[in-house]
Amino acid sequence: MRHRARTVTLVAALLASTLSACSSANDLIIYSGRNEQLVGGLLDQLEDAVGIDVQVRYGGSGEMAAQLLEEGQGTEADLFFSQDAGALGAVGAQGRLAELPADVLGMVPENYRARDKRWVATSARARVIAYDPRVVQESELPKTVEEVVDPKWKGKIGYAPTNGSWQAFVTSVRVLKGEDFAKDWLKKFAANEPKRFDNNNSILKAVDDGQLPFGLINHYYWYAMVAEKGGQAGVKARLHRVGNGDPLALVNVAGVGIIQGTNQSEAAQKAVRFLLSEKAQRHFADVTAEYPANPDVKPGKHQLPPITDLQAPDLDLSKLSSLQETLKLLQEAGLS
Amino acid sequence: MAVLPLAYLAVRSFERGGGVVWDVLARTRTAELALRSLSLALAVTASCLVLGVLGAWLVVRSDLVGRRVFGVLLVLPLAVPSYVAGFTWISVVPDLTGFAGAFVVLTLVSYPYVLLPVAAALRTADPAVEEVARSLGRTSRQVFFSVTLRQIRPAALAGGLLVALYVLSDFGAVSLMRYEAFTLGIYTSYRASFDRTPAAVLGVVLVVLAIALTVGERRARGVVAHRGRRQPLTVPLGRARVPALAGAAVLVLLTLGVPVISLVWWLVEGTSTSSAADVLATTGNTVAVSALGALLTLLLALPVGILAARHQGRLARGVELASFAGHALPGITVGLALVFFGIRFAPALYQTMPMLAFAYAVLFLPLAVGAVRTGVAHAPPVLEDVSRSLGLGRLRTGLRVTVPLATPGILAGTALVFLTCAKELPATLLLRPTGVDTLATELWTRTEVGAYAAAAPYAAVLLVVAAIPALVLDRFSGGER
Amino acid sequence: MSGLAVKRLVAGYGGEPVLREVDFEVPEGGLLAVLGPSGCGKTTLLRVLAGFHPASSGEVWLGGRQLTADVPPEQRGIGIVPQEGALFPHLSVAGNVGFGLRRGERDDRVEELLDLVGLAGFGARMPAQLSGGQAQRVALARALAPRPGVVLLDEPFSALDAGLREELRADVRATLRAAGATALLVTHDQEEALSIADHVVVLRDGAVAQFARPQTIYASPADLGVALFVGDAVTFRGVARSGLVATPLGELRTSGDGPGTVLLRPEQLVLGTAGVPSTVDDVLFHGHDATVLLRLADGAQVRARVQGRISVRPGDSVAVSVDGPALFFGDTA
Repeated sequence: MRHRARTVTLVAALLASTLSACSSANDLIIYSGRNEQLVGGLLDQLEDAVGIDVQVRYGGSGEMAAQLLEEGQGTEADLFFSQDAGALGAVGAQGRLAELPADVLGMVPENYRARDKRWVATSARARVIAYDPRVVQESELPKTVEEVVDPKWKGKIGYAPTNGSWQAFVTSVRVLKGEDFAKDWLKKFAANEPKRFDNNNSILKAVDDGQLPFGLINHYYWYAMVAEKGGQAGVKARLHRVGNGDPLALVNVAGVGIIQGTNQSEAAQKAVRFLLSEKAQRHFADVTAEYPANPDVKPGKHQLPPITDLQAPDLDLSKLSSLQETLKLLQEAGLS
Repeated sequence: MAVLPLAYLAVRSFERGGGVVWDVLARTRTAELALRSLSLALAVTASCLVLGVLGAWLVVRSDLVGRRVFGVLLVLPLAVPSYVAGFTWISVVPDLTGFAGAFVVLTLVSYPYVLLPVAAALRTADPAVEEVARSLGRTSRQVFFSVTLRQIRPAALAGGLLVALYVLSDFGAVSLMRYEAFTLGIYTSYRASFDRTPAAVLGVVLVVLAIALTVGERRARGVVAHRGRRQPLTVPLGRARVPALAGAAVLVLLTLGVPVISLVWWLVEGTSTSSAADVLATTGNTVAVSALGALLTLLLALPVGILAARHQGRLARGVELASFAGHALPGITVGLALVFFGIRFAPALYQTMPMLAFAYAVLFLPLAVGAVRTGVAHAPPVLEDVSRSLGLGRLRTGLRVTVPLATPGILAGTALVFLTCAKELPATLLLRPTGVDTLATELWTRTEVGAYAAAAPYAAVLLVVAAIPALVLDRFSGGER
Repeated sequence: MSGLAVKRLVAGYGGEPVLREVDFEVPEGGLLAVLGPSGCGKTTLLRVLAGFHPASSGEVWLGGRQLTADVPPEQRGIGIVPQEGALFPHLSVAGNVGFGLRRGERDDRVEELLDLVGLAGFGARMPAQLSGGQAQRVALARALAPRPGVVLLDEPFSALDAGLREELRADVRATLRAAGATALLVTHDQEEALSIADHVVVLRDGAVAQFARPQTIYASPADLGVALFVGDAVTFRGVARSGLVATPLGELRTSGDGPGTVLLRPEQLVLGTAGVPSTVDDVLFHGHDATVLLRLADGAQVRARVQGRISVRPGDSVAVSVDGPALFFGDTA
C-alpha cells in the first residue's frame, strides 16, 4: 500500500510538472523547420522585435508541414519557418498559409517569393562545384549538366547520394530537361564512376585534401570551412559557380509564411519583417553563409555575390516535390 | 487505444478515394520496397536471435568471467538510437552501406530485444528438466539445443518479433546506410512530396506485414514452461572460456565501442560546445517523460499481457494484435495520428507531456505486452486458483499474485520501454511541449548540422541514463532468490 | 450448518461429460476421500467445487448455502491445497498463511495456524527454504486460515517419500480434526484413502461406484471393480450354491448364488499344516509383513500376506487354508 501511494504521488508530480510547461495563447508560436543551432540565436532576438513572448518549436521541415496540415484549424502555430520552399508550398496549397502584405513581398526579388503570395524566402543556398585548383583549372570545369558526364571526368567527380540537395538537383534536371534526358544523364553519370560521399562536408574535405578533383556541393560548406580555418589562405579548395540557368546552378531557399487564421497576425507580420530586416539578413549572410534574400543587404564577412547575380534556373521551387520519381530513377541508375 | 493509428491511416488513405490507394499499392516500387524491408527484417531477426540467445545464456548460465558486467554491457546498445549507430558506423567503416550496413547496424542495436526476455526466461526456467536430460546421457551442448532452447523458445520468439517490427519501422539506420526500405517511401512522402496519402497507404501495408509477423510468431510460440523452484545450474565453459569471453568482448566493442569511440573523437576533434546546465535540464526532461511513458505503457500492458497469457479467446488475440501493429509503424506515422486525434479530441492535452507519454505507449506497448505475457506465462496458474479460493477476486489476485510473480518480466519490459522512449525522436518532435527538449531531440538538432562535439555530451548522457535501468534490472534478477 | 453436499453433479468440457450424476455428502467436520484412478474425474470434481469450472447440472451445497455457477471462487469459502503445495514463491511462510486474512486478525491467526501445523517460528522463511513436507503443511495452514467451509486437498502427499507421507497423513488428519474443518481429499492411493478418511467415495469413469466408510468399502465392496481397486485380491471363478463355493483352495463359505467371481484378501490366506498343499514361489518382505507367492496344485499362483516371523523360503511345500468368508460377485446377465 505504501508503494502504491508513492507511485501515485510520483505520477501526480510528473503530470503537474509537465502540464505547467503548457504554452500560452498570448505568445507568438513559431514552428521552425530550420535547425536550432542555425537560427536559435536569431529567433531569440526576434522576441524584442515583435514585442511579445515568442516560443519556438523545432523539427524537420517536411514533418512540420505534415504536422501543420494535420493540426488544421486547431493549430497553435502562428508562423512556419521552413528550411525549403517545398514544405511551405505544401502547407500553402492546402490554404493553411495567409497571404503576405505586398510591402513584405516586395522586399525580395520576384523569384524568391511564392506566386500565390503565401510565403517569402528569407535566404538562399546554391549548388556549386568545389574543385581543387592544383588539379584542374576553373576554365576547364563543366558549365552545364551535359559537360558533367563527359567521359574525361571518369572517377573524378564526388557526390553525396543520400543528401537532400543532391536529390533536389536531380529533380530539377528532370523538371527542367525532361524525364528521358534525366534518365540518360544519370546513366552516363553512373558510367563515369563518380565517388560516393556521406555528405557535402566530406566531399569538400576530400577536394581540400587533394584526393578528389571536384565535387557537387552546396555553397555554404565552403564558407564554413573558410571561417573555421581562419581565412581563404587555409583552404585549398575553390568554388566554381555555374550560371546561365543550368540545373547545376540550382538555388533553393529557406522561407517563412504566416499561418492562416492566426490570432497574432500583427506580431507574425512583425516577425516576418524582422526576418527580412538588415539584422536578420546579416545573420544569414555571416553566420550561416547563405545568400540574403533581401538584395539591399550586402553580404559582409563572406563576400558572397549578390543573390540577383546567381542566374539560377527558372523553376517554381515549391514544385520540387516529385522526389519519389527521382529516387526511382536514381535506383535504376544504381546511384542510390 | 492502439487502434488510433490504424483509424488515422484509414482516414488518410481513403480521403482521396480508393483509386489513389490502388495507385500507390500497384506501383512495382511498393512491392519491391516491402520485399526489401521484409528481407532485412528477417535477416536481422535471425542474427538477433543467435546473438541474443547466446548472449543471454553466457550471462545467465555460464561461468563466463565478468558475466555480471557483461549482463549490463550487453543490454546497453538498446540506448543507442539507430541513427547514432548508423552515423558512427559510417564514420568508422565508410564502405559499410546498403543491405550489409543496415543489417549490421540494426542487428547491433536490436539484439538486446531478444537477450532481455531470454535472460529472464533462463533465470526462471526449471533446471530439473535439464538435469534429467544430462542424466539421460546428453552432453551439456546437446542439452542446450534439445532442452534449453525449447524452454526459452517462447521468450526468444517474442523478442524476435519485436526485432522484426522494429526493423520494419526503422528509418534512421536504413536511411544512413543507404538501404532503400519501406519506411523510406513513407518518409519521402512526408519530407519531399509533402503528401500524406501515399504515406498512409504505405503505413497500412506495414501494419499488414506486422500482423502477418505477429500471427506467425504466435503459431511458432509453443507452450511456456513453468518456473522452477531452484536457481538454475551454472555450466562451466571449459575450453570455450576464452573464445566466449572474446566473443562477448567483441560484441560489446562493436555495439558500444564504436559509438563511444566516435563520441570521444567528436569531442576531441570538434569545436562546438554544449553547456552543462542545458545537458542537465534536458536529462531531467528525458527521464521524466520516459518514466511517464514507461509507467503508462506498463499500466496498459498489464491487462493486455495477462489476458494474452491466460486466455486464448478471440478478444485476447485481437487486442494483442492491435497493440503490435502500432509498433511496426514509424514514429512519424504514430505521431501524426496522435496529432490528428489529439488536436481534435483532447486539445487541452495536445503537446503536453502526458500526450507524449501516450504516444510512447502506443508505439511501445508491444515491448511491455510481450514481457508481461512471458512473465505471466511463467507464473503457474494454480497459484491464481489458490488465491481465488482464499477469497481474493480477479483484480486483487492479479495485483497480489500474478503481477509479483511476473515481476522479472514486467520489470524487463518497463526498462525496455523506458530506454526506447528515451531515444525516440520523430513522435517526440511532433508531440513534445513547445520548448521542451529531450536528449534525443538535442542530439538530432546538433548532428543535423554537423555539430558533433556539441552532440557528444547528449549521446553520452543518453547512454548513462540507459545504463541505470539496465543496472537495476540486473541487480533485481540476480538477487531474486 | 451441514457440511458439503453434492447432488447429481454433471460436468464436462463439451463432448462426453467427465462427471456423471455424482452424489455424496460430507458432514461438518468430516473428512471424505475421493478415490479413483487417473482420469476418473477427480480433478474436474475439485475444479467444479472450487468454482474454477462450471457444472452442467446438479447442485453443490455448502453450510446450507447453494453454490451455483455464478458464485465465483473467492466467494465460495472453499480452501484448496494443490499438489506439491503451490506456495506463493514471492511471499514468506507467514505471508502465504496470512494471504487470505484481513490485516487486523492476520498476525494472531498466522501464528495460531503455524502452531497447529507444527511450524511455529517458520514465519519468516521463504518457500524455497522448506522441505516438501513443510511446504505441504504451510499450504494446509494457508487454506485453513480463513476458516473455509471445506478444504479440498488434491493428492497432497503424492510428491513425498513413503515415511514422510505416512507421518504427514496422520498430522494432516489431526490438524483437520483440531481445526474442526470439513475436508475433501482426492487421491489415487487406496491405502491413503482408507487410512485417512471417515468416508470414501470411489469414483469410476466420472460416476460414484461406492460411497461408504472405509471399512465397508474394503470389506463389502459394491462390485468386483471396487473390490479389486481398493486392495490386493486373490480371485477364482466359481459357482456359489447355498452359501458355499468350490475353489482351488477348497470349499469356502460365501454369499450369493450362481456363477461368478470369488474374491479373497491375501491376509485371509493362512499358511500352516492344515489346508491344500502348495509350493512357495517367492517371498516379498515388507518389514511389517510379507507377501508369499504360492503355486497351487492346478498351477494357479496366489498371494498370501503373512504377519510376524516368516519361516518359509522359496521352494518349500506348505499347506494353505482360508480364514473367514469369501466375497462373491455373481455374473450379471
